[in-house]
Parts: sequence; C-alpha cells; structure tokens
Amino acid sequence: MNVLGIPKQILALAFIFTIIIAALVVARMLFIPPSFGRYGHYRADAVDEVIAQEINYAGYEACIECHDEIYEPKEKSHHKGVSCEVCHGPAAKHVQAPDEFVPGAPRKRGYCPLCHDYNPSRPTGFPQIITELHNPGKACMTCHDPHNPLLPHTPEECSACHREIANTKRVSHHASLACVRCHTVPDEHLVHPKFALAQAPVEREFCGECHAKDADTGRDVPRIDLDTHGERYLCWDCHYPHHPEAR
Amino acid sequence: MVTNIMTGLQNISGYIYPNEFELHWGILIVVYPYLTGLVAGAFILASLERVFNVKVLQPVYRLSLLSALAFLFVAPLPLLVHLGHPERSFEMFLTPYTSSAMAMFGFVYAWYLMVVLLLEIWFDYRKDMVIWSKEKRGLMRFVYRILPLGVTDVSEKSILFDNKIGRIITIIGIPSAFLLHGYVGFIFGSVKANPWWSSVLMPIVFLFSAIVSGIALILIIYMVTTMFRLKTMSMPCLNKLAEFLLYAIIVDLSLESLDFIQRLYESEESIKILSEMISSRLFLSLIVSQVILGSIVPMVSLVWARFGRLPDEMRRMAYFIAAILVQVGIFSTRWNVVIGGQLFSKSLRGLTVYKMQLFGLEGLLMTGFLLILPLIILYLLSKLLPPWPDSEAKVQYSQAGDHGLR
Repeated sequence: MNVLGIPKQILALAFIFTIIIAALVVARMLFIPPSFGRYGHYRADAVDEVIAQEINYAGYEACIECHDEIYEPKEKSHHKGVSCEVCHGPAAKHVQAPDEFVPGAPRKRGYCPLCHDYNPSRPTGFPQIITELHNPGKACMTCHDPHNPLLPHTPEECSACHREIANTKRVSHHASLACVRCHTVPDEHLVHPKFALAQAPVEREFCGECHAKDADTGRDVPRIDLDTHGERYLCWDCHYPHHPEAR
Repeated sequence: MVTNIMTGLQNISGYIYPNEFELHWGILIVVYPYLTGLVAGAFILASLERVFNVKVLQPVYRLSLLSALAFLFVAPLPLLVHLGHPERSFEMFLTPYTSSAMAMFGFVYAWYLMVVLLLEIWFDYRKDMVIWSKEKRGLMRFVYRILPLGVTDVSEKSILFDNKIGRIITIIGIPSAFLLHGYVGFIFGSVKANPWWSSVLMPIVFLFSAIVSGIALILIIYMVTTMFRLKTMSMPCLNKLAEFLLYAIIVDLSLESLDFIQRLYESEESIKILSEMISSRLFLSLIVSQVILGSIVPMVSLVWARFGRLPDEMRRMAYFIAAILVQVGIFSTRWNVVIGGQLFSKSLRGLTVYKMQLFGLEGLLMTGFLLILPLIILYLLSKLLPPWPDSEAKVQYSQAGDHGLR
C-alpha cells in the first residue's frame, strides 16, 4: 500500500538511492583529506610536506663564494647555463661542512652523453655525438674540459652539431648535396657558432637554379615554372629543403 | 641506435616531430567509443518501442535494454586498462573536477547506468520478478525475492504505474543516451590543434553512427539468439529493424559526407596531408572498410532485401550480412577517428604508422576479450532476466478483482 500517497516503488528506490548517496557522503568524509580544496583542487597539506623536505641543493651562488676560479671561465663557456650541481650532485651538506662532505665529479664516459648523445628531439646546433663511434673507450675529460668545453679541433662535418638535419637529409632527395651548396658558412661559425650564424637562401630564385624550367641540371630533377608555381610563397614555405617530399 | 632510427624512419614518410613517432592512444581507445556507441544505439532502439510506440519492435525491446546494460558495464574498461591505475578513477567521484570533460564522463556514465538503464530495467521487470519469485526454486527464487526491493504489489494499478514511470525514464533516457555518446564525440571534436578531429559536427556524427551500430547489433543478437532458441523470428520486427538501420545509415553517411565536403571546400592548410593520409594509411580502413563495405554495400543490400521481392530466408540472410558489415564499418569509423588523428604530424608534413601489440594490456588479445566480455555478460543477464517475449510473466487476476496473484 502507498504511504502518504507515494507509491511503494518510489519509496523503495528512494531508500536505495539514499543509501548510495549516504555511502558517497561517508566515503567523501573518510577518504578526502581535510586540507583538500583550501587553496585549489589539491591537498593543501602537500605544500607543507614539500616545504618540510630536507634541502639537498645549495644553488650555484653558494658554489661561487669559494670556487670563483672555476666559475669565471665557466661563465664565459658553452656550459654557462649548466649549474654546478647538475654534474657534481646536491651540495647543501658540502656548504655546511666542506671537509666532511665532498661532492663527487663524474669522470666516466657515460655521464656526458646524458646530454650530448644523439637524440633527434634535441635542438639543432646542439653538439651531439654517437657515443659508440666517438673515440670509443676514452673518457670525455681526456679531450674536453667540462668547465670550458671547447672542442679540441674544429668539427670536420656539419653533422657534428646538426645531426638531426644531417640524418634527415641523408634519406632525402637532397642527400647528395653538400650543406654549403645552399648555406653560406663564415669561418667564424666553426669556432663561435652562435655569434657568426650560417646563412640560408632568402629568394625563391635560389631553388630555381636547379628546379626552374630552364635550369642546367639532370633530367630527373623536378622542374617548376617559377612564374606560376606557388605564386608569392617562398619555396620553403611548402617544401622542407632537408627532406623535400615533392617528386 | 642508428640502425633503430633508420628502421624507424622507414615506417614514416615526410617529416614528423620526434614525439609523434609512437601513438599514445591505441586500439583500446578505439574500442571505447565503439562500445559506448553500441550502448547509446541499443537504448535509442528500445525507446522507439516505448516512447514512439513502434509496437512491431516489441520482441527486441527488452533485448535492447539488456544489451545496452551489458555493453555499458564494459564501456569504461578500455579506459581503465589504458590508464593503468583503475583505482584512481574512484577519486573522480569523490572530488569532482567540473572543468575537465574527461572527469565529467564518470558522472555521465553513473547517471546513465543508475538513473536510466537500471531503473528502466527494474520498472520493466519488477512484475516478472515478483511472479518468478513464486514460481522458481532454490537460489533463483532467493534472487528474485531480493531484486524487487520488497515491492511485491502486482495489481493492475501498480503495473500501470511501473509502465508510466518506465516511459518517463525512457523520455529522460533519450537525451541521456545522446549525452553519453555525444560526449565521446565532444572529447575528440574539441581538440582544437588536431584538424582531423576538431569539428563541431563530431558529436552529431558520433551519435548517428552510434544509432547505426546499435540497431545493427540488436538485429544480429536477435537473429542469433532466436536461432539458437529454435524459435521463429518475427519478420515484421526484422523488416522494421532493417528499415530503421537503412534510414540511420543514410543520415550517418550524409552527415559524414557533409563533413568531408566542407573540409574539402574549406581546404585549410591541413587538407594536403589529410588527403595523403586517406589515400595511403587509411585507404583500407576508410575507403574500403568504412565507406564501401560498412556503408554503401549494407545500404544497397538493405534496400534490395527490404523492398525487393525475396523469400524470407534470403531476406534474413541479407539483413544479417548487412548488419555484420555495418559493425565492421562502424569499428573502422572509430579506428579512423582515433588512429587517423594521430597518424599525421602536427607539422602537416609527414605520416607515421600504428604498430599494434598482440599481447599486453593494450594488445589485440585484450581488445578481443573486451569485445567478447559484453556478450558473456549479456548471456548471464538473459539467464537472470529473460528478455524473450515468450518468457514474460503473465499476471492472472481473480474474478473478484483482488490485486493479488492466484
């Protein structure tokens, strides 16, 4: 029979749904940490827990105070952006008790490749080596000073720094072209690459030297009419010169 | 390492970014919209009988509801398996994060399961469960005593009330089913950076393809179960299912063509790489499987079988093959959306490939298991709550007009 005119079905379901909602409320009370939501959608106590963690890193300013003779050349080198503790490890204890805790220094061959081993996602121009091929067995420090990592000699090939481009070009239709066919490379670029940049073509007529209708190149080289093809766009707006996909 | 890179480079074409080499969303994420689509489609089919009074579909009404429930139980599993930490999904309910569309799925799912499907099935089966609790013996008698939640009144008035509420729930259920599957399309459609996904038509296209797959699924399940039960299939019901399937395919194909034509006409900067992807990587799954085998062939065979002069056996065979092809086509649709959206580089210059695992949590075997699991659940559900028209319990009222059972 109905209670207060409410059908029994509704009463039974209301009872079940009340239990489910009550269980959810109890679960919220039990499982949600009290500090949740104080600052945002996370547990506020987590901030205090992070603050309470032991400090391991001293920061490079602490290193400079005593080791300025290393800091000065390093500040002018390619490693100026690399903090001391990146290689030497956390040194907060060393700052507090310099003689008791001496931070280590990686001298084995495996450490430098963490940054300098070839990886296609690294930015172009970043010096990269293929560890297995690059002076096998020798420790990096034999030839390179990590505090002023100048190269022992000028790279013989562009791929020493531009390996990603070199690898891409190697499987492209432009594989047989030397880099200097398109790029003008000042001598200074080999010593101070960031201060004397290599130049790339700026006009579409440059590509036309090989690809224009009347160009004096092999018959298998794709030809276009520079007047009508691509209109006002530059060639490299559509074609990636290191791996031109058009045939 | 060089060898690995060179081997990898052979699988890609053009230029891709290094982090696009491997796809993050694999076949499990293909299965997820496929399953939710089946749920939404099956429920919308059930609503045709209930709300729109298409009485000829009565033999598949309960079957549609139970199928929707069985597939709904499995729908979130591909996501949980893909994420690797299923226990963390519980936190979504404890601390709801309203600005995350993915987190809100938990609530859409819970609403659909608890408020729509379970309630509708409960109201629809309550009378039967009360009667079975008196007829059955042993464990099943005990189960049927618990399930009606103590509401044993099977008077005419009470059953009328059940029907009325069931109808109201179905009316609420239709927009809910739209929400459930429209949501899945919404997730893909709102990825602005991906030209293959970013389209306002995405939720609508998902919805109509869901209706197509749901109707085809019920057609297959109805034919197979009736055959194994050695019963006669209701030809008017099958004809009506085939008609609705045909109309749904026409609308779905029109919408997808509209989307495609608009993309071609807009001809944004992505059109070149997308055309290349369709003509190379997706040729089999899109042109052959989705468009030809999954849409055009079923459409033609349904028109031929439904409106041609054919013997019933032939007609049934044509319906069955069309429905199977539709399933293949809709699975390909999900594949083309999920996998296709990750095959081209955001640089719009190159294409990668998807390499599927066989074993492992995200492999082919797990996918097979997740596709078979709903059918096992449906079998168990059909043992508990037989959806067949001939097994519906009949109430016999005494002449004195009392509201009890004889």
